[in-house]
Amino acid sequence: MSDALPTKPTMVTISINGKEVQAKPGTILVEAAAQAGIEIPIFCYEPRLGPPIGACRMCLVEVEGMRGLQTACSTPVAPDMVVHTNNEAAATAQDGVLELLLANHPLDCPVCDKGGECPLQDRTFKFGPGETRFVEPKRHFPKPLDLSTEVAIDRERCIACFRCIRFSQDVSEDGQLGFQERGAGTEVATFSGEPYESRFSGNIIDLCPVGALTSIPYRFVSRPWDVQNAPSVCGLCPVGCNTELTMREGETKRTTGRPNPNMTVEEGWLCDKGRWGYPAAWSADRILRPLVRDANGTMVETSLEAAVDAAARLIAASSATQILVGAASTVEDGFLAQELAAVLPNAAASRLGFPDSADLEPLRALPRAELSDIDTAGAVAVVGGDVTNRHPIVELRLRKLVRNRGALAMVGPRTSPLDARATFGARTAPGQLSSGLAVLAAALEGASAPLIIWDEADLANEPAAAAELARIATAAGARQIELAVDVNGRGLRALGLPCQTAPVAAGALVAVNADPLESPGAMAWADAIDGVGAIIAVATHRSAITERADVVLPTLMHHEVEGVLVSTTGRAQRLRPGSRGPREAAAAWELLIALSHRTGTPLPFRTPAQAFAAVAAARPPFAGLSYSVVGDEGAPTTHVAQSSAPQRSTDAVGDGIALVVTTEIFGDAVSWRSDALVSRRTPAHLVLAPQQAATLGLVQDQRARVSSPFGTCILPVVVDAQAPEGAAFVAMGPPASGTSALLAGEQVPVNVMIEVAE
Amino acid sequence: MTAADIKAHIDPIRHEYADGRSLVLPALKYAQTEQGWLPPEALAAVAEATGYSQAYVESVASFYDRLYLEPVGKRVVSVCITLSCMLRGSDELIEGMCEHLGVEHSHGAVTTPDGAITIQEAQCLGACDKAPCIQVDAENTIGPLGQSEANALLDELRAADRPRELWR
Repeated sequence: MSDALPTKPTMVTISINGKEVQAKPGTILVEAAAQAGIEIPIFCYEPRLGPPIGACRMCLVEVEGMRGLQTACSTPVAPDMVVHTNNEAAATAQDGVLELLLANHPLDCPVCDKGGECPLQDRTFKFGPGETRFVEPKRHFPKPLDLSTEVAIDRERCIACFRCIRFSQDVSEDGQLGFQERGAGTEVATFSGEPYESRFSGNIIDLCPVGALTSIPYRFVSRPWDVQNAPSVCGLCPVGCNTELTMREGETKRTTGRPNPNMTVEEGWLCDKGRWGYPAAWSADRILRPLVRDANGTMVETSLEAAVDAAARLIAASSATQILVGAASTVEDGFLAQELAAVLPNAAASRLGFPDSADLEPLRALPRAELSDIDTAGAVAVVGGDVTNRHPIVELRLRKLVRNRGALAMVGPRTSPLDARATFGARTAPGQLSSGLAVLAAALEGASAPLIIWDEADLANEPAAAAELARIATAAGARQIELAVDVNGRGLRALGLPCQTAPVAAGALVAVNADPLESPGAMAWADAIDGVGAIIAVATHRSAITERADVVLPTLMHHEVEGVLVSTTGRAQRLRPGSRGPREAAAAWELLIALSHRTGTPLPFRTPAQAFAAVAAARPPFAGLSYSVVGDEGAPTTHVAQSSAPQRSTDAVGDGIALVVTTEIFGDAVSWRSDALVSRRTPAHLVLAPQQAATLGLVQDQRARVSSPFGTCILPVVVDAQAPEGAAFVAMGPPASGTSALLAGEQVPVNVMIEVAE
Repeated sequence: MTAADIKAHIDPIRHEYADGRSLVLPALKYAQTEQGWLPPEALAAVAEATGYSQAYVESVASFYDRLYLEPVGKRVVSVCITLSCMLRGSDELIEGMCEHLGVEHSHGAVTTPDGAITIQEAQCLGACDKAPCIQVDAENTIGPLGQSEANALLDELRAADRPRELWR
């Protein structure tokens, strides 16, 4: 070894409370102390919000040789530093700061939602004065105001730590929160008292170290000592943010970021859909009881036992069985569908969702990156997609990249709030991503740790662009992140489940959390559905397929089940139940196993963990994984090239202008079912550029008839000056909107004719 | 006042401010010269001109006593109530001035019903040698002032035309 060479010291040694502590140079004292198991009290310190600001003064410590006391949150370690966090000077200061913070604090802990999980409470007990000397009247503000429809603000409780304001100004960059007035009158407010409108507004509740910002849907619902928390994963988009589910009396009462955020994935931030989507479990269309169609054709409520028996009889009586798994199903559900199909005579399992494409293989074969790698990239190119609406948390990472002075390139047909932050952006015409790629190469060239982020659907429909992008990325040495279309599309594909793009012809259809009548290709399915012998719907909510089904088996939502989802970056992550779900419902994995028993071909699994162990043994992408390996933080799956992926047809079908679809963040089924998101939901609509709208004779809010070769739907028109000309941008809306009629099951590019609807 | 007007005012003095944030203050003072106070539209124009968020601009404006987020009178009279002036009778002075104007004395700003004059308490105006002193808008501090002189000044201000620009 090179022990003769002078080396830079990699660690500095400091003393904290007489204890020798090793820390990397530049470590902040608070962190160095925490590593040594010494707690320095903090309120405003939160590294995820950017550099420390020393606003609350809670972390005062004595550093020998430095005049006065230092804020440990903003003081880096230095060699031979001697720090006292609990000597008389430090303790008196901490005591004093807490006494001042509490001087105007209402101490209404018994009626405060934060009580019991409140850093101010905890630190007062541990570091603060036992009693106050403040006898004067406290400041008073009217009690809680609605900062938005989901967040309540109680200004009396605020300790002016700046966290929420820093989140608004520096993380989500919505710039809406600020302090108003000064001194004891300081209050957090929005401009002119307008409602706080942000896709990420709920994070300020998690950040608030006191009870000033509370969740309106969770208001007065429960106490920390009445609940159990389960670390889980959000199943509403492919990002797979790590969440914590708060369960009381068998029901999920709240979703929050984890206390120990997964820094690789969501960094502790959640979008408002992920945070307030769980009340969809109680929507009016939730299926609570099993249903079986009787001799007269009417659906009759029955027991789960009887319904599973009826389903098994229908399967046994059918010449063939197709098990169709929905795109958000867990890995276990997909695997058990495959296993059940293997033991039933003449049966097959497939998935509903975005089809496989061999053309994406060169991109998928590039080295994989995690979302956290965006932070350290010198340049990131986003090609296609709509991260703001479909992968919301990725937007926060990209904003951070730009703050860290990384270059951001945005290429694609859709407008994005990130366009204003992009170093360079190329708005390409639909189907012409290639035209934006030339400049992209220059952006990635020479950048440190470059990254490409590419949209599965957009690039699958443009094989030439996919090949070119793969070539550019290889030349630049870039790693890649795929923006998957489906929640667990990656996991189901890795199982080898083929995508069902055409309707099933005959026999029995078992639809597991899948509704082909409300998915792309819906019209073809509608024509073919009468030819299907028997329909067994395993579903959480009523939809077109449950109306047609012969047996409906109620099942559980993501926050009610155990299972594994594979995120957009390829991480296998565990769902854990934070709710028992309806009494007569069962998890899809359990129903599939039950069906195997009732059809006389029992599968050898009793738990999802056993099923996952079998997945790991039988499917190479999951090799080496188990529930314990996946753990709380998730573990990467291995990409295995799919040799069998079919070539897709990529020529646009139909006459008229190109159809560009997206699903708005609050425009999906969950947002429309969750009563916590009533004020946020957006319906399906058609966005046209002004010129395009004028040519078609359409004005704002008018209704337009949109027709593709596959189907027709009527949508309200939104005229948007930002939208590119020459294309029809359709926000899909919740399933019942009928927009899926416009698309083929293969989800190939489509042109649409648009006219004024009478 | 438009963002362009504000930008035309701050661009020539931009070099005097090391940090763009500090430029918000002269922009706000200038935006206030039009109506004498800052309606939300004026704050929005300052935000646009300086590139900071509306919430931040309002946050700065709400910090300062001389930046008004509510309508104030044609002229604003600030009466110093800090130590020297108080010892020399500022309490009685402001009480008398309020009586003369026919308004109730308060610790905040009070405007006459006709919108002519706003009277407010001010912390030290830096003119202890002239105690008790007052300041009209951002003009020179006047003092020492007896009750009758002060009342005469108020009458004079009420009768005078509104200045073209309201620097406060």
